[in-house]
Amino acid sequence: MIWARNRIISLVIGFLGLVLFDKFILGLSASYDYVKIVVMMCGVFVTLAVSLNLINGITGQFSIGHAAFFQVGAYTCALLSSSVFQSFSQKQPVLWLLFAALFGAIGAAIAGFIIGLPSLRLKGDYLAVVTLGFGEIISIIVRNQKALGEAYGKPVDKIHSVFMVWGLAVLAIAVCRNLLKTAHGLSFLAVREDEVASSAMGVNVTKIKVTAFVIGSAFAGAAGALMAHTKAFVTPQDFSMDVSFIILTMVVLGGTGSITGSVIAAIIFYIIPEKMRDLPPSIPMHVPVAALFGIIAAVIGMRAVQQKIHDEKLKAAGLYVLSMIGGTIVAFVLNLLLKAVPPLQATIIGSNLRMPVLAITLVVLMLLRPQGIFGHHEFSLDWVKGLFKRKSVATSGGAAQ
Amino acid sequence: MVSLLSLPIASVDFTTLPQQLVNGLLLGAIYALIALGYTMVYGVLKLINFAHGEVFMLGSYGALFTAWALGFGPNGNAAQGSLLTLVLMLLGAMAVSGSMGLVIERFAYRPIRNHPRIASLITAIGLSLLLQYGGQVFILEGKKQSIPEKVSPYQSNIDINIVKPNEKLLEEAKALQPKLDAATAAFKEKLKTEKSEFDLSPQGELLRDEVDKLTKEQRKLQDDSKKGSVLVQIAQGKLIMLAFTLVLMAGLTYLVMKTKMGRAMRAVSQDFNAASLMGININTVISFTFFLGSVLAGAGAMMYSTFQSAPIDTFSGMAPGVKAFVAAVLGGIGNIPGAVLGGIIMGIAENLVSWAGYSNYRDAIAFVILISVLLFRPGGILGSNKVEKV
Repeated sequence: MIWARNRIISLVIGFLGLVLFDKFILGLSASYDYVKIVVMMCGVFVTLAVSLNLINGITGQFSIGHAAFFQVGAYTCALLSSSVFQSFSQKQPVLWLLFAALFGAIGAAIAGFIIGLPSLRLKGDYLAVVTLGFGEIISIIVRNQKALGEAYGKPVDKIHSVFMVWGLAVLAIAVCRNLLKTAHGLSFLAVREDEVASSAMGVNVTKIKVTAFVIGSAFAGAAGALMAHTKAFVTPQDFSMDVSFIILTMVVLGGTGSITGSVIAAIIFYIIPEKMRDLPPSIPMHVPVAALFGIIAAVIGMRAVQQKIHDEKLKAAGLYVLSMIGGTIVAFVLNLLLKAVPPLQATIIGSNLRMPVLAITLVVLMLLRPQGIFGHHEFSLDWVKGLFKRKSVATSGGAAQ
Repeated sequence: MVSLLSLPIASVDFTTLPQQLVNGLLLGAIYALIALGYTMVYGVLKLINFAHGEVFMLGSYGALFTAWALGFGPNGNAAQGSLLTLVLMLLGAMAVSGSMGLVIERFAYRPIRNHPRIASLITAIGLSLLLQYGGQVFILEGKKQSIPEKVSPYQSNIDINIVKPNEKLLEEAKALQPKLDAATAAFKEKLKTEKSEFDLSPQGELLRDEVDKLTKEQRKLQDDSKKGSVLVQIAQGKLIMLAFTLVLMAGLTYLVMKTKMGRAMRAVSQDFNAASLMGININTVISFTFFLGSVLAGAGAMMYSTFQSAPIDTFSGMAPGVKAFVAAVLGGIGNIPGAVLGGIIMGIAENLVSWAGYSNYRDAIAFVILISVLLFRPGGILGSNKVEKV
């Protein structure tokens, strides 16, 4: 029962951490509401990334329309809380959140079931296209419904609960993790590796694929319901194709199949664009241009290092740092040179650089580390211990020589 | 409860159907051009080039800037374009798109060609976001632009009457014209003595009512005469566009079927490794394929923004890009005639949906068709269904 004790301890620590965070750190901050919303949105995106990881990374079904389920959940909740359950949601807001998440999950799970069905016949790029298409269809239908506020959107009651949002995220992580550790999870992985072979070994491929879609979309729907109450407004722009792409990006950059990777990538890729809203309102154009060329120079250097050096990790790391410094120097020099070019002296709005920076990060990371930050690995105590063990073996070997 | 699908009640007018079919065909020709780029790249690399829509967008900027350079800009003084202007714009768009396609292939796709496909897909998505949002920052501050109409000397319409309008009523309407002219003249004369157009004396009002009555009568006769008539109107510019498209497609067919490079392309799309063992320079072939596809997208972009008068901003490649992609999958991705067929089906379907009164759903129809085709024939219309073996 050691594992159960460990699990419980980590849950308690996590819960205490949340309490401390909510009571003290958030309280210290001047912009309490804003920070709280950012923290909750991080939770929402963690849930989304982990649930998409279940479909994409663990089961290997290529879905790029995750925002659709998110949207179904959010609008289900918006519709119910403003009509049938209006009085309930106003009297018992936190309890209602629980039900909202549940209803959102059910609505999205039904959508996930419907979308999961074609995945029985399609695979790879074709499935990707169909999921993208379903997402667009749902979005267009929503945009044309009077009851759903059309393109403008629909106001929802503001109910903030860091616990609910992060509780959902923890639940999603726990479900995925426990799934992977059981015999059921093995059949998910088998479907990812080879469908034909796994069905020959007696895995019910149909059931596995549909299950993955249903579970993944249910979590996305619940996250949508909670986001509706966090933002207090739902609008079709929050669920556009770009959002699907961003969720997919989180999964792939974290490492497809790695739950830890999804969590960390989700937080990073929500915070970075959010922080960039604070950039100065006017930046002369030569600065980002020079920075872009600096990045290109650094990437060229780092790729060269990757291709040339395979064994000597220390030397590679040193050269990495060198190429980064080189890129920075290129950027600085170019910045001074480009200052003299008149068309580049025009200013641009800093916060408009959010999406370009995100896109550049995406491309650069893919070029340098296509398997994602974590690859297939998970963060665990054993993994950390393993790292040190290998290192200690290497050092003792070196000492013996 | 709320009805989930509050579709508008359709009003269908069959006399406008031929017009819609022709419009659909013309729009479809452009989709086909863009779809060819998707399909060729997929055929050779098995990669969905998500940045193709952005190559298209840059092509329309290429056309716009060429037009501006030729003096059709906001401060330009050129009066009227000629066929040469259009050809130059076409070349400008093709040059911009083609070089962009080469750059994207060389720096974003080639380095990760041997990695899992999802990596290149993510790179493609990243590039497309970069070009959309980065372009919004740098190109003309992302404001919507459009190509001035005067670049095209072909402004008039060609009317084809399939069922002629009622000539007797038309004659009557024409006969009313002198009367109407006289009444208008009288009213204008009177207006000079009035205080303002909105504050008329009783006589003025009488004259104004007379003009109104005659105008209404004439319009009613004209409308009545058109009842049951079937008219197809084609802008001359769109015929030029169709001609350009056909020339480009014929050129592409020649290139792929008759030249050495075309044979190499077909070989690579059949078997990547075997082709390279036979001494084909894979990198050159792939670069060339990207270039060709991007050039076609550029041509499509120029025509879409000039003859269909689509506004240009950095996001304008998204919608036609997605539709063309659907067209490519619909026809069977990797299949060149399939892309053309898919494009035309898409164009016609889109126009038919608007014609039936569901114009809000015209973007959804692309995916509805796509999903239904894929469910019943996963390889696309002209594609082949491969049975997977262990």
